Amino acid sequence: MGSHASMYSASRITAHGEERRAFWIFVLPAFLIYLFVMAFPTFFAVFLSLTNYKGGALFGPKRKAVDIVGFQYYKQMFSDKYFWLALKNNMWIVFISVFGQIPLGFFMAYLIFRGMIRGKDFFQTVIYLPCVISTVVIGRLWKAITAPNGVLPDIIRLFNPAYVAGNSEHPMIAVLLVILWMYTGTYLIIFLANLQKIDTSVIEAAKIDGATEMQALRYIIFPALSGVIVTTAILAISGSLKSFDLIFVMTSGGPAKQTYVLSIYMYDTAFKGAPNYPLANAVSIVMCVISFALIGITKAVEKKFGGKE
Amino acid sequence: MSYIRDDVSAKRKVGMVLTYAVLILFAILAIAPLLWLALNSFKTSQDYQMNRLGLPKRFFWQNYTQAWQRGHFGIYIVNSIIYTAITTVAILALSFMSGFAFAKINNRNTKWMYGSYVVGILMTLQSIMIPLFIVINQVGLYDTKLGVLIPYIGIGLPMGIYLATEFMKSIPNALVESARLDGAHYGRIFLSIMAPMAAPVGVTIAILQISGTWNEFMLINMLTSSTKNKSLPVGIQSFAGSLSTDYGKLFASLMIGLIPMLVFYIIFRKEITKGVSAGAVKG
Repeated sequence: MGSHASMYSASRITAHGEERRAFWIFVLPAFLIYLFVMAFPTFFAVFLSLTNYKGGALFGPKRKAVDIVGFQYYKQMFSDKYFWLALKNNMWIVFISVFGQIPLGFFMAYLIFRGMIRGKDFFQTVIYLPCVISTVVIGRLWKAITAPNGVLPDIIRLFNPAYVAGNSEHPMIAVLLVILWMYTGTYLIIFLANLQKIDTSVIEAAKIDGATEMQALRYIIFPALSGVIVTTAILAISGSLKSFDLIFVMTSGGPAKQTYVLSIYMYDTAFKGAPNYPLANAVSIVMCVISFALIGITKAVEKKFGGKE
Repeated sequence: MSYIRDDVSAKRKVGMVLTYAVLILFAILAIAPLLWLALNSFKTSQDYQMNRLGLPKRFFWQNYTQAWQRGHFGIYIVNSIIYTAITTVAILALSFMSGFAFAKINNRNTKWMYGSYVVGILMTLQSIMIPLFIVINQVGLYDTKLGVLIPYIGIGLPMGIYLATEFMKSIPNALVESARLDGAHYGRIFLSIMAPMAAPVGVTIAILQISGTWNEFMLINMLTSSTKNKSLPVGIQSFAGSLSTDYGKLFASLMIGLIPMLVFYIIFRKEITKGVSAGAVKG
Protein backbone atom coordinates (compact mmCIF):
# COMPACT_ATOMS: atom_id res chain seq x y z
CA MET A 1 0.00 0.00 0.00
CA GLY A 2 2.72 2.40 1.10
CA SER A 3 4.97 1.56 -1.87
CA HIS A 4 2.01 1.86 -4.17
CA ALA A 5 1.27 5.39 -2.97
CA SER A 6 4.86 6.54 -3.32
CA MET A 7 5.08 5.09 -6.85
CA TYR A 8 1.91 6.94 -7.74
CA SER A 9 3.17 10.25 -6.45
CA ALA A 10 6.56 9.73 -8.11
CA SER A 11 4.94 9.26 -11.50
CA ARG A 12 2.79 12.28 -10.80
CA ILE A 13 5.86 14.40 -10.11
CA THR A 14 7.55 13.36 -13.37
CA ALA A 15 4.29 13.96 -15.23
CA HIS A 16 4.17 17.42 -13.68
CA GLY A 17 7.77 18.02 -14.58
CA GLU A 18 7.10 17.07 -18.17
CA GLU A 19 3.99 19.20 -18.20
CA ARG A 20 5.90 22.21 -16.93
CA ARG A 21 8.74 21.66 -19.38
CA ALA A 22 6.33 21.32 -22.28
CA PHE A 23 4.53 24.50 -21.26
CA TRP A 24 7.71 26.57 -21.30
CA ILE A 25 9.01 25.06 -24.53
CA PHE A 26 5.73 25.98 -26.26
CA VAL A 27 5.38 29.42 -24.72
CA LEU A 28 8.84 30.86 -24.29
CA PRO A 29 10.04 31.56 -27.88
CA ALA A 30 7.01 33.73 -28.60
CA PHE A 31 7.15 35.39 -25.21
CA LEU A 32 10.80 36.39 -25.54
CA ILE A 33 10.17 38.02 -28.93
CA TYR A 34 7.11 39.74 -27.51
CA LEU A 35 9.09 41.08 -24.55
CA PHE A 36 11.87 42.34 -26.82
CA VAL A 37 9.60 44.00 -29.35
CA MET A 38 6.71 45.35 -27.29
CA ALA A 39 7.21 45.20 -23.53
CA PHE A 40 10.82 46.33 -23.28
CA PRO A 41 10.46 49.36 -25.59
CA THR A 42 7.50 50.56 -23.50
CA PHE A 43 9.58 50.66 -20.31
CA PHE A 44 12.62 51.86 -22.22
CA ALA A 45 10.56 54.84 -23.44
CA VAL A 46 9.81 55.84 -19.84
CA PHE A 47 13.53 55.76 -19.06
CA LEU A 48 14.59 57.65 -22.19
CA SER A 49 11.97 60.35 -21.68
CA LEU A 50 13.62 61.21 -18.35
CA THR A 51 17.19 61.41 -19.73
CA ASN A 52 19.09 63.70 -22.05
CA TYR A 53 19.91 60.93 -24.57
CA LYS A 54 20.35 62.46 -28.02
CA GLY A 55 21.78 59.51 -29.95
CA GLY A 56 24.92 57.39 -29.96
CA ALA A 57 25.78 54.02 -28.45
CA LEU A 58 24.08 53.16 -25.16
CA PHE A 59 26.12 50.02 -24.48
CA GLY A 60 29.64 48.81 -25.13
CA PRO A 61 33.01 50.58 -25.12
CA LYS A 62 31.91 53.61 -27.14
CA ARG A 63 29.06 54.27 -24.75
CA LYS A 64 28.12 57.87 -24.09
CA ALA A 65 27.13 59.00 -20.64
CA VAL A 66 23.41 59.56 -20.28
CA ASP A 67 22.08 61.71 -17.45
CA ILE A 68 18.71 61.56 -15.81
CA VAL A 69 17.21 65.02 -16.11
CA GLY A 70 13.73 64.42 -14.71
CA PHE A 71 10.62 65.86 -16.27
CA GLN A 72 12.38 68.59 -18.23
CA TYR A 73 11.23 67.25 -21.61
CA TYR A 74 7.67 66.78 -20.47
CA LYS A 75 7.67 70.48 -19.54
CA GLN A 76 9.07 71.31 -22.96
CA MET A 77 6.39 69.17 -24.61
CA PHE A 78 3.49 70.67 -22.66
CA SER A 79 4.67 74.18 -23.44
CA ASP A 80 5.05 73.49 -27.18
CA LYS A 81 2.09 74.85 -29.11
CA TYR A 82 2.60 72.19 -31.81
CA PHE A 83 2.01 69.44 -29.27
CA TRP A 84 -1.38 70.97 -28.52
CA LEU A 85 -2.10 71.48 -32.22
CA ALA A 86 -1.29 67.80 -32.82
CA LEU A 87 -3.54 66.75 -29.95
CA LYS A 88 -6.30 68.95 -31.32
CA ASN A 89 -5.98 67.33 -34.74
CA ASN A 90 -6.16 63.90 -33.11
CA MET A 91 -9.42 65.08 -31.52
CA TRP A 92 -10.70 66.12 -34.96
CA ILE A 93 -10.01 62.60 -36.18
CA VAL A 94 -11.94 61.23 -33.22
CA PHE A 95 -14.75 63.64 -34.09
CA ILE A 96 -14.95 62.58 -37.75
CA SER A 97 -14.87 58.92 -36.68
CA VAL A 98 -17.53 59.15 -34.02
CA PHE A 99 -19.86 61.54 -35.83
CA GLY A 100 -19.00 60.60 -39.42
CA GLN A 101 -17.78 57.06 -39.88
CA ILE A 102 -19.86 55.37 -37.19
CA PRO A 103 -23.26 56.85 -38.17
CA LEU A 104 -22.50 56.48 -41.87
CA GLY A 105 -21.24 52.92 -41.41
CA PHE A 106 -24.32 52.10 -39.37
CA PHE A 107 -26.61 53.70 -41.94
CA MET A 108 -25.14 51.67 -44.80
CA ALA A 109 -25.14 48.45 -42.76
CA TYR A 110 -28.75 49.09 -41.80
CA LEU A 111 -29.76 49.67 -45.43
CA ILE A 112 -28.05 46.46 -46.48
CA PHE A 113 -29.54 44.53 -43.54
CA ARG A 114 -33.12 45.81 -43.72
CA GLY A 115 -33.35 46.67 -47.40
CA MET A 116 -33.76 43.01 -48.35
CA ILE A 117 -31.78 43.87 -51.42
CA ARG A 118 -29.76 41.72 -53.73
CA GLY A 119 -26.01 42.06 -53.95
CA LYS A 120 -25.30 42.45 -50.22
CA ASP A 121 -21.87 40.96 -50.75
CA PHE A 122 -21.18 43.25 -53.67
CA PHE A 123 -21.90 46.44 -51.72
CA GLN A 124 -19.98 45.29 -48.68
CA THR A 125 -16.99 44.28 -50.81
CA VAL A 126 -16.88 47.51 -52.80
CA ILE A 127 -17.38 49.87 -49.87
CA TYR A 128 -14.71 48.11 -47.81
CA LEU A 129 -12.21 48.07 -50.69
CA PRO A 130 -10.34 51.31 -49.81
CA CYS A 131 -9.46 49.79 -46.42
CA VAL A 132 -7.44 46.90 -47.80
CA ILE A 133 -5.22 48.99 -50.05
CA SER A 134 -1.88 50.24 -48.80
CA THR A 135 -2.16 53.63 -47.11
CA VAL A 136 0.82 54.78 -49.17
CA VAL A 137 -1.15 54.23 -52.39
CA ILE A 138 -4.23 55.91 -50.93
CA GLY A 139 -2.28 58.83 -49.49
CA ARG A 140 -0.33 59.50 -52.70
CA LEU A 141 -3.48 59.19 -54.78
CA TRP A 142 -5.39 61.72 -52.68
CA LYS A 143 -2.39 64.00 -52.55
CA ALA A 144 -2.49 64.12 -56.36
CA ILE A 145 -6.27 64.53 -56.42
CA THR A 146 -6.40 67.40 -53.92
CA ALA A 147 -3.31 69.26 -55.15
CA PRO A 148 -3.90 72.77 -56.54
CA ASN A 149 -3.19 71.31 -60.01
CA GLY A 150 -5.10 68.11 -59.23
CA VAL A 151 -8.44 66.84 -60.43
CA LEU A 152 -10.51 68.03 -57.47
CA PRO A 153 -10.16 71.73 -58.45
CA ASP A 154 -11.17 70.68 -61.98
CA ILE A 155 -14.32 69.06 -60.61
CA ILE A 156 -15.12 72.10 -58.46
CA ARG A 157 -14.68 74.32 -61.53
CA LEU A 158 -17.36 72.28 -63.32
CA PHE A 159 -19.84 73.72 -60.83
CA ASN A 160 -18.16 77.02 -60.04
CA PRO A 161 -16.06 78.26 -62.99
CA ALA A 162 -14.69 81.15 -60.93
CA TYR A 163 -12.99 78.79 -58.45
CA VAL A 164 -9.26 79.41 -58.05
CA ALA A 165 -7.28 76.58 -56.50
CA GLY A 166 -4.83 77.55 -53.81
CA ASN A 167 -3.51 76.16 -50.59
CA SER A 168 -6.40 75.53 -48.28
CA GLU A 169 -6.72 77.53 -45.09
CA HIS A 170 -7.82 74.38 -43.30
CA PRO A 171 -5.65 71.57 -44.66
CA MET A 172 -6.99 69.16 -42.01
CA ILE A 173 -10.34 69.11 -43.82
CA ALA A 174 -8.89 67.21 -46.78
CA VAL A 175 -7.18 64.75 -44.44
CA LEU A 176 -10.40 64.19 -42.49
CA LEU A 177 -12.41 63.60 -45.65
CA VAL A 178 -9.91 61.00 -46.85
CA ILE A 179 -10.05 59.29 -43.45
CA LEU A 180 -13.84 59.28 -43.71
CA TRP A 181 -13.66 57.87 -47.23
CA MET A 182 -11.10 55.22 -46.41
CA TYR A 183 -12.25 53.73 -43.12
CA THR A 184 -16.05 53.98 -43.08
CA GLY A 185 -16.18 50.49 -44.63
CA THR A 186 -14.70 49.02 -41.45
CA TYR A 187 -17.67 50.22 -39.43
CA LEU A 188 -20.06 48.99 -42.09
CA ILE A 189 -18.59 45.51 -41.71
CA ILE A 190 -18.65 45.55 -37.91
CA PHE A 191 -22.26 46.75 -37.78
CA LEU A 192 -23.44 44.41 -40.51
CA ALA A 193 -21.84 41.39 -38.82
CA ASN A 194 -23.64 42.27 -35.58
CA LEU A 195 -26.94 43.19 -37.22
CA GLN A 196 -27.01 39.78 -38.82
CA LYS A 197 -27.00 38.23 -35.34
CA ILE A 198 -30.36 39.86 -34.58
CA ASP A 199 -33.30 37.53 -34.99
CA THR A 200 -35.30 39.11 -37.83
CA SER A 201 -38.45 37.31 -36.77
CA VAL A 202 -38.59 39.55 -33.68
CA ILE A 203 -38.62 42.60 -35.95
CA GLU A 204 -41.23 41.06 -38.26
CA ALA A 205 -43.43 40.16 -35.29
CA ALA A 206 -43.18 43.71 -33.95
CA LYS A 207 -44.12 45.09 -37.35
CA ILE A 208 -47.14 42.81 -37.61
CA ASP A 209 -48.17 44.19 -34.21
CA GLY A 210 -48.09 47.64 -35.80
CA ALA A 211 -44.62 48.90 -34.93
CA THR A 212 -43.11 51.37 -37.38
CA GLU A 213 -39.62 50.98 -38.78
CA MET A 214 -38.42 53.77 -36.49
CA GLN A 215 -39.86 51.97 -33.48
CA ALA A 216 -38.19 48.74 -34.51
CA LEU A 217 -34.94 50.65 -34.78
CA ARG A 218 -35.43 52.36 -31.44
CA TYR A 219 -36.65 49.42 -29.36
CA ILE A 220 -35.12 46.35 -30.98
CA ILE A 221 -32.07 47.17 -33.09
CA PHE A 222 -30.37 49.89 -31.03
CA PRO A 223 -30.64 48.00 -27.72
CA ALA A 224 -29.21 44.90 -29.41
CA LEU A 225 -26.28 46.93 -30.69
CA SER A 226 -25.58 49.06 -27.62
CA GLY A 227 -22.40 47.17 -26.77
CA VAL A 228 -21.10 47.36 -30.33
CA ILE A 229 -21.80 51.07 -30.61
CA VAL A 230 -19.78 51.77 -27.49
CA THR A 231 -16.98 49.47 -28.64
CA THR A 232 -16.80 51.13 -32.05
CA ALA A 233 -16.62 54.53 -30.37
CA ILE A 234 -13.64 53.38 -28.32
CA LEU A 235 -12.15 51.81 -31.44
CA ALA A 236 -12.49 55.16 -33.16
CA ILE A 237 -10.75 57.01 -30.35
CA SER A 238 -7.85 54.57 -30.16
CA GLY A 239 -7.77 54.44 -33.96
CA SER A 240 -7.15 58.17 -34.04
CA LEU A 241 -3.95 57.69 -32.06
CA LYS A 242 -2.89 55.17 -34.67
CA SER A 243 -3.17 57.55 -37.59
CA PHE A 244 0.27 58.01 -39.03
CA ASP A 245 0.81 56.51 -42.50
CA LEU A 246 -1.93 58.32 -44.34
CA ILE A 247 -1.05 61.78 -43.02
CA PHE A 248 2.68 61.12 -43.32
CA VAL A 249 2.26 60.30 -46.99
CA MET A 250 -0.39 62.91 -47.81
CA THR A 251 0.96 65.99 -46.07
CA SER A 252 3.90 64.97 -43.81
CA GLY A 253 2.15 67.11 -41.22
CA GLY A 254 2.38 70.24 -43.39
CA PRO A 255 1.83 72.83 -44.66
CA ALA A 256 3.42 74.68 -41.71
CA LYS A 257 2.68 71.74 -39.37
CA GLN A 258 -1.04 72.42 -39.73
CA THR A 259 -1.86 68.70 -40.10
CA TYR A 260 0.31 67.48 -37.24
CA VAL A 261 -1.03 64.59 -35.19
CA LEU A 262 0.75 63.20 -32.12
CA SER A 263 2.51 60.41 -34.01
CA ILE A 264 3.84 62.77 -36.70
CA TYR A 265 4.89 65.30 -34.07
CA MET A 266 6.79 62.49 -32.36
CA TYR A 267 8.36 61.30 -35.62
CA ASP A 268 9.54 64.77 -36.57
CA THR A 269 10.95 65.32 -33.10
CA ALA A 270 13.00 62.15 -33.41
CA PHE A 271 14.02 62.23 -37.06
CA LYS A 272 13.81 65.74 -38.46
CA GLY A 273 16.91 67.82 -37.84
CA ALA A 274 18.85 67.05 -34.68
CA PRO A 275 17.19 64.09 -32.97
CA ASN A 276 15.44 64.94 -29.74
CA TYR A 277 14.81 61.42 -28.45
CA PRO A 278 13.78 62.35 -24.90
CA LEU A 279 11.03 64.62 -26.20
CA ALA A 280 9.89 62.00 -28.72
CA ASN A 281 9.74 59.42 -25.96
CA ALA A 282 7.78 61.79 -23.75
CA VAL A 283 5.20 61.96 -26.56
CA SER A 284 5.29 58.13 -26.70
CA ILE A 285 4.48 57.98 -23.01
CA VAL A 286 1.59 60.39 -23.36
CA MET A 287 0.19 58.23 -26.19
CA CYS A 288 0.74 55.13 -24.08
CA VAL A 289 -1.11 56.65 -21.13
CA ILE A 290 -4.04 57.62 -23.34
CA SER A 291 -4.18 54.18 -24.93
CA PHE A 292 -4.00 52.40 -21.56
CA ALA A 293 -6.74 54.64 -20.21
CA LEU A 294 -8.80 53.54 -23.22
CA ILE A 295 -8.08 49.89 -22.47
CA GLY A 296 -9.37 50.47 -18.94
CA ILE A 297 -12.52 52.13 -20.26
CA THR A 298 -13.03 49.31 -22.78
CA LYS A 299 -12.83 46.73 -20.02
CA ALA A 300 -15.26 48.65 -17.84
CA VAL A 301 -17.68 49.06 -20.72
CA GLU A 302 -17.44 45.39 -21.67
CA LYS A 303 -18.32 44.48 -18.10
CA LYS A 304 -21.23 46.88 -17.99
CA PHE A 305 -22.72 45.80 -21.28
CA GLY A 306 -21.98 42.14 -20.68
CA GLY A 307 -19.77 40.38 -23.16
CA LYS A 308 -17.44 41.59 -25.84
CA GLU A 309 -20.02 42.15 -28.49
CA MET B 1 -58.04 44.75 -49.06
CA SER B 2 -56.09 44.40 -52.29
CA TYR B 3 -56.18 48.18 -52.45
CA ILE B 4 -54.21 48.39 -49.18
CA ARG B 5 -51.82 45.68 -50.28
CA ASP B 6 -51.07 47.54 -53.49
CA ASP B 7 -50.39 50.65 -51.47
CA VAL B 8 -47.98 48.76 -49.19
CA SER B 9 -46.15 47.13 -52.05
CA ALA B 10 -45.88 50.44 -53.91
CA LYS B 11 -44.37 52.00 -50.80
CA ARG B 12 -42.04 49.10 -50.51
CA LYS B 13 -40.92 49.48 -54.12
CA VAL B 14 -40.13 53.15 -53.61
CA GLY B 15 -38.15 52.26 -50.49
CA MET B 16 -36.30 49.59 -52.40
CA VAL B 17 -35.37 51.92 -55.25
CA LEU B 18 -34.17 54.54 -52.77
CA THR B 19 -32.13 51.94 -50.91
CA TYR B 20 -30.45 50.81 -54.10
CA ALA B 21 -29.84 54.39 -55.19
CA VAL B 22 -28.16 55.33 -51.92
CA LEU B 23 -26.03 52.19 -51.80
CA ILE B 24 -24.97 52.53 -55.43
CA LEU B 25 -24.00 56.13 -54.73
CA PHE B 26 -21.81 55.00 -51.82
CA ALA B 27 -20.29 52.24 -53.91
CA ILE B 28 -19.43 54.74 -56.65
CA LEU B 29 -17.92 57.13 -54.13
CA ALA B 30 -15.78 54.28 -52.79
CA ILE B 31 -14.34 53.16 -56.10
CA ALA B 32 -14.41 56.28 -58.30
CA PRO B 33 -11.01 57.55 -57.09
CA LEU B 34 -9.50 54.13 -57.76
CA LEU B 35 -11.00 53.92 -61.25
CA TRP B 36 -9.73 57.42 -61.93
CA LEU B 37 -6.28 56.27 -60.80
CA ALA B 38 -6.39 53.25 -63.11
CA LEU B 39 -7.36 55.40 -66.13
CA ASN B 40 -4.79 58.08 -65.46
CA SER B 41 -2.00 55.58 -65.05
CA PHE B 42 -2.18 55.18 -68.85
CA LYS B 43 -1.87 58.89 -69.68
CA THR B 44 1.33 60.60 -70.71
CA SER B 45 2.20 63.46 -68.43
CA GLN B 46 1.18 66.04 -71.04
CA ASP B 47 -2.11 64.24 -71.58
CA TYR B 48 -2.70 64.30 -67.81
CA GLN B 49 -1.90 68.00 -67.47
CA MET B 50 -4.32 68.93 -70.27
CA ASN B 51 -7.03 66.49 -69.50
CA ARG B 52 -7.33 65.25 -65.93
CA LEU B 53 -11.00 64.31 -66.05
CA GLY B 54 -11.34 62.56 -69.39
CA LEU B 55 -10.24 59.27 -70.86
CA PRO B 56 -6.63 58.78 -71.98
CA LYS B 57 -5.99 59.93 -75.57
CA ARG B 58 -4.09 56.71 -76.10
CA PHE B 59 -3.02 54.02 -73.71
CA PHE B 60 0.57 54.76 -72.78
CA TRP B 61 1.72 51.41 -71.36
CA GLN B 62 5.30 52.64 -71.07
CA ASN B 63 4.38 54.31 -67.76
CA TYR B 64 4.36 50.85 -66.28
CA THR B 65 7.53 49.50 -67.87
CA GLN B 66 9.46 52.68 -67.09
CA ALA B 67 8.18 52.91 -63.52
CA TRP B 68 8.98 49.23 -63.00
CA GLN B 69 12.57 49.69 -64.16
CA ARG B 70 13.36 53.04 -62.59
CA GLY B 71 11.55 52.29 -59.35
CA HIS B 72 13.23 48.93 -58.58
CA PHE B 73 9.78 47.43 -58.10
CA GLY B 74 11.04 43.92 -58.86
CA ILE B 75 13.26 44.07 -55.76
CA TYR B 76 10.54 45.62 -53.62
CA ILE B 77 7.97 42.99 -54.53
CA VAL B 78 10.38 40.15 -53.79
CA ASN B 79 11.21 41.81 -50.45
CA SER B 80 7.54 42.24 -49.62
CA ILE B 81 6.94 38.57 -50.37
CA ILE B 82 9.89 37.59 -48.14
CA TYR B 83 8.73 39.77 -45.25
CA THR B 84 5.12 38.66 -45.56
CA ALA B 85 5.88 34.94 -45.93
CA ILE B 86 8.37 34.67 -43.09
CA THR B 87 6.32 36.83 -40.72
CA THR B 88 3.13 34.89 -41.43
CA VAL B 89 4.70 31.45 -41.06
CA ALA B 90 6.53 32.42 -37.87
CA ILE B 91 3.41 33.93 -36.34
CA LEU B 92 1.31 30.89 -37.25
CA ALA B 93 3.83 28.50 -35.67
CA LEU B 94 4.38 30.58 -32.52
CA SER B 95 0.68 31.39 -32.07
CA PHE B 96 -0.31 27.76 -32.37
CA MET B 97 2.36 26.71 -29.90
CA SER B 98 1.42 29.33 -27.34
CA GLY B 99 -2.28 28.79 -27.94
CA PHE B 100 -1.87 25.08 -27.32
CA ALA B 101 0.07 25.64 -24.10
CA PHE B 102 -2.35 28.29 -22.79
CA ALA B 103 -5.46 26.28 -23.67
CA LYS B 104 -4.43 22.72 -22.90
CA ILE B 105 -1.46 22.58 -20.51
CA ASN B 106 -2.16 23.49 -16.89
CA ASN B 107 0.24 26.08 -15.59
CA ARG B 108 -0.23 28.87 -13.10
CA ASN B 109 1.65 31.31 -15.35
CA THR B 110 -0.96 31.08 -18.09
CA LYS B 111 -3.12 33.81 -16.64
CA TRP B 112 -0.68 36.70 -16.52
CA MET B 113 1.17 35.72 -19.68
CA TYR B 114 -2.00 35.41 -21.73
CA GLY B 115 -3.27 38.61 -20.13
CA SER B 116 -0.16 40.46 -21.26
CA TYR B 117 -0.84 39.44 -24.87
CA VAL B 118 -4.41 40.69 -24.62
CA VAL B 119 -3.02 44.04 -23.44
CA GLY B 120 -0.68 43.92 -26.44
CA ILE B 121 -3.61 43.69 -28.86
CA LEU B 122 -5.07 46.88 -27.51
CA MET B 123 -1.80 48.75 -27.32
CA THR B 124 -1.16 51.60 -29.72
CA LEU B 125 1.81 50.58 -31.79
CA GLN B 126 2.73 54.19 -32.54
CA SER B 127 3.58 54.72 -28.91
CA ILE B 128 6.52 52.31 -29.09
CA MET B 129 7.90 53.17 -32.51
CA ILE B 130 10.66 55.52 -31.34
CA PRO B 131 12.00 53.31 -28.50
CA LEU B 132 11.75 50.30 -30.82
CA PHE B 133 13.80 52.15 -33.42
CA ILE B 134 16.44 52.94 -30.79
CA VAL B 135 16.52 49.33 -29.55
CA ILE B 136 16.89 47.93 -33.08
CA ASN B 137 19.65 50.45 -33.73
CA GLN B 138 21.51 49.61 -30.52
CA VAL B 139 21.57 45.88 -31.26
CA GLY B 140 22.93 46.56 -34.74
CA LEU B 141 19.89 45.45 -36.75
CA TYR B 142 19.10 48.78 -38.40
CA ASP B 143 18.54 48.40 -42.17
CA THR B 144 18.64 44.61 -42.12
CA LYS B 145 15.86 42.18 -43.02
CA LEU B 146 16.10 40.57 -39.58
CA GLY B 147 15.65 44.00 -38.01
CA VAL B 148 12.29 44.25 -39.78
CA LEU B 149 11.18 40.66 -39.31
CA ILE B 150 11.65 40.49 -35.53
CA PRO B 151 9.45 43.54 -34.86
CA TYR B 152 6.86 42.31 -37.37
CA ILE B 153 6.66 38.94 -35.65
CA GLY B 154 6.53 40.45 -32.17
CA ILE B 155 3.79 42.87 -33.14
CA GLY B 156 1.64 40.24 -34.84
CA LEU B 157 1.89 37.76 -31.97
CA PRO B 158 -0.72 39.19 -29.57
CA MET B 159 -3.59 38.93 -32.07
CA GLY B 160 -2.42 35.53 -33.36
CA ILE B 161 -2.05 34.10 -29.88
CA TYR B 162 -5.40 35.49 -28.78
CA LEU B 163 -7.23 33.92 -31.74
CA ALA B 164 -5.36 30.60 -31.48
CA THR B 165 -5.89 30.29 -27.73
CA GLU B 166 -9.60 31.06 -27.88
CA PHE B 167 -10.05 28.55 -30.71
CA MET B 168 -8.08 25.80 -29.00
CA LYS B 169 -10.03 26.28 -25.76
CA SER B 170 -13.09 25.16 -27.73
CA ILE B 171 -11.46 21.85 -28.70
CA PRO B 172 -12.51 19.20 -26.12
CA ASN B 173 -9.96 18.44 -23.39
CA ALA B 174 -10.84 14.76 -23.65
CA LEU B 175 -8.88 14.53 -26.89
CA VAL B 176 -5.70 15.68 -25.18
CA GLU B 177 -6.32 13.61 -22.04
CA SER B 178 -6.92 10.35 -23.86
CA ALA B 179 -3.84 10.88 -25.98
CA ARG B 180 -1.89 11.54 -22.77
CA LEU B 181 -3.19 8.31 -21.26
CA ASP B 182 -2.02 6.49 -24.38
CA GLY B 183 1.42 7.86 -23.58
CA ALA B 184 1.70 10.53 -26.27
CA HIS B 185 4.06 13.44 -25.61
CA TYR B 186 2.86 17.02 -25.79
CA GLY B 187 4.87 17.60 -28.96
CA ARG B 188 3.12 14.72 -30.65
CA ILE B 189 -0.32 15.81 -29.43
CA PHE B 190 0.37 19.30 -30.75
CA LEU B 191 1.54 18.16 -34.18
CA SER B 192 -0.94 15.38 -34.89
CA ILE B 193 -4.08 16.48 -33.04
CA MET B 194 -4.22 20.18 -32.14
CA ALA B 195 -2.51 21.83 -35.08
CA PRO B 196 -4.63 20.08 -37.73
CA MET B 197 -7.82 20.73 -35.78
CA ALA B 198 -6.99 24.42 -35.42
CA ALA B 199 -6.43 24.88 -39.16
CA PRO B 200 -9.54 27.10 -39.60
CA VAL B 201 -8.25 29.68 -37.14
CA GLY B 202 -4.89 29.38 -38.87
CA VAL B 203 -6.53 30.65 -42.04
CA THR B 204 -7.95 33.68 -40.21
CA ILE B 205 -4.59 34.45 -38.59
CA ALA B 206 -2.75 34.06 -41.90
CA ILE B 207 -5.12 36.36 -43.77
CA LEU B 208 -5.00 39.09 -41.13
CA GLN B 209 -1.23 38.78 -41.04
CA ILE B 210 -0.66 38.73 -44.79
CA SER B 211 -2.68 41.89 -45.41
CA GLY B 212 -1.21 43.61 -42.36
CA THR B 213 2.41 42.85 -43.23
CA TRP B 214 2.07 43.53 -46.93
CA ASN B 215 0.68 47.02 -46.27
CA GLU B 216 2.84 47.91 -43.26
CA PHE B 217 4.60 51.22 -43.78
CA MET B 218 5.34 53.07 -40.58
CA LEU B 219 7.93 50.73 -39.07
CA ILE B 220 9.72 49.59 -42.19
CA ASN B 221 9.97 53.19 -43.37
CA MET B 222 11.82 53.93 -40.13
CA LEU B 223 13.87 50.74 -39.92
CA THR B 224 15.30 50.50 -43.44
CA SER B 225 17.14 52.88 -45.73
CA SER B 226 18.63 50.86 -48.59
CA THR B 227 16.84 49.64 -51.70
CA LYS B 228 17.73 46.02 -51.02
CA ASN B 229 15.72 46.01 -47.77
CA LYS B 230 12.72 48.18 -48.61
CA SER B 231 9.25 46.73 -49.12
CA LEU B 232 6.72 47.74 -51.75
CA PRO B 233 4.97 50.53 -49.76
CA VAL B 234 8.27 52.18 -48.78
CA GLY B 235 9.54 51.71 -52.31
CA ILE B 236 6.49 53.46 -53.73
CA GLN B 237 6.88 56.30 -51.26
CA SER B 238 10.53 56.87 -52.19
CA PHE B 239 9.88 56.47 -55.93
CA ALA B 240 6.98 58.92 -55.72
CA GLY B 241 9.20 61.36 -53.86
CA SER B 242 11.77 61.22 -56.67
CA LEU B 243 9.22 62.22 -59.34
CA SER B 244 8.37 65.86 -59.60
CA THR B 245 5.52 66.22 -62.08
CA ASP B 246 5.65 62.90 -63.88
CA TYR B 247 2.13 61.94 -62.87
CA GLY B 248 1.78 59.11 -65.40
CA LYS B 249 4.59 57.18 -63.78
CA LEU B 250 3.42 58.08 -60.30
CA PHE B 251 -0.01 56.61 -61.02
CA ALA B 252 1.52 53.53 -62.66
CA SER B 253 3.61 52.93 -59.55
CA LEU B 254 0.52 53.32 -57.36
CA MET B 255 -1.26 50.74 -59.50
CA ILE B 256 1.69 48.39 -59.06
CA GLY B 257 1.16 48.81 -55.33
CA LEU B 258 -2.60 48.39 -55.55
CA ILE B 259 -2.96 45.35 -57.78
CA PRO B 260 -1.51 42.57 -55.56
CA MET B 261 -3.75 43.51 -52.61
CA LEU B 262 -6.75 43.90 -54.90
CA VAL B 263 -6.31 40.38 -56.24
CA PHE B 264 -5.81 39.03 -52.71
CA TYR B 265 -8.93 40.85 -51.54
CA ILE B 266 -11.08 39.58 -54.39
CA ILE B 267 -10.05 35.99 -53.67
CA PHE B 268 -10.34 36.13 -49.88
CA ARG B 269 -12.97 38.85 -49.36
CA LYS B 270 -15.23 36.62 -47.22
CA GLU B 271 -12.40 35.60 -44.92
CA ILE B 272 -11.07 39.15 -44.74
CA THR B 273 -14.37 40.72 -43.74
CA LYS B 274 -14.92 37.92 -41.23
CA GLY B 275 -11.50 38.57 -39.75
CA VAL B 276 -12.22 42.30 -39.53
CA SER B 277 -15.43 41.88 -37.60
CA ALA B 278 -13.86 39.24 -35.32
CA GLY B 279 -10.70 41.22 -34.70
CA ALA B 280 -12.14 44.71 -34.52
CA VAL B 281 -14.95 43.99 -32.10
CA LYS B 282 -12.38 42.64 -29.71
CA GLY B 283 -10.33 45.83 -29.96
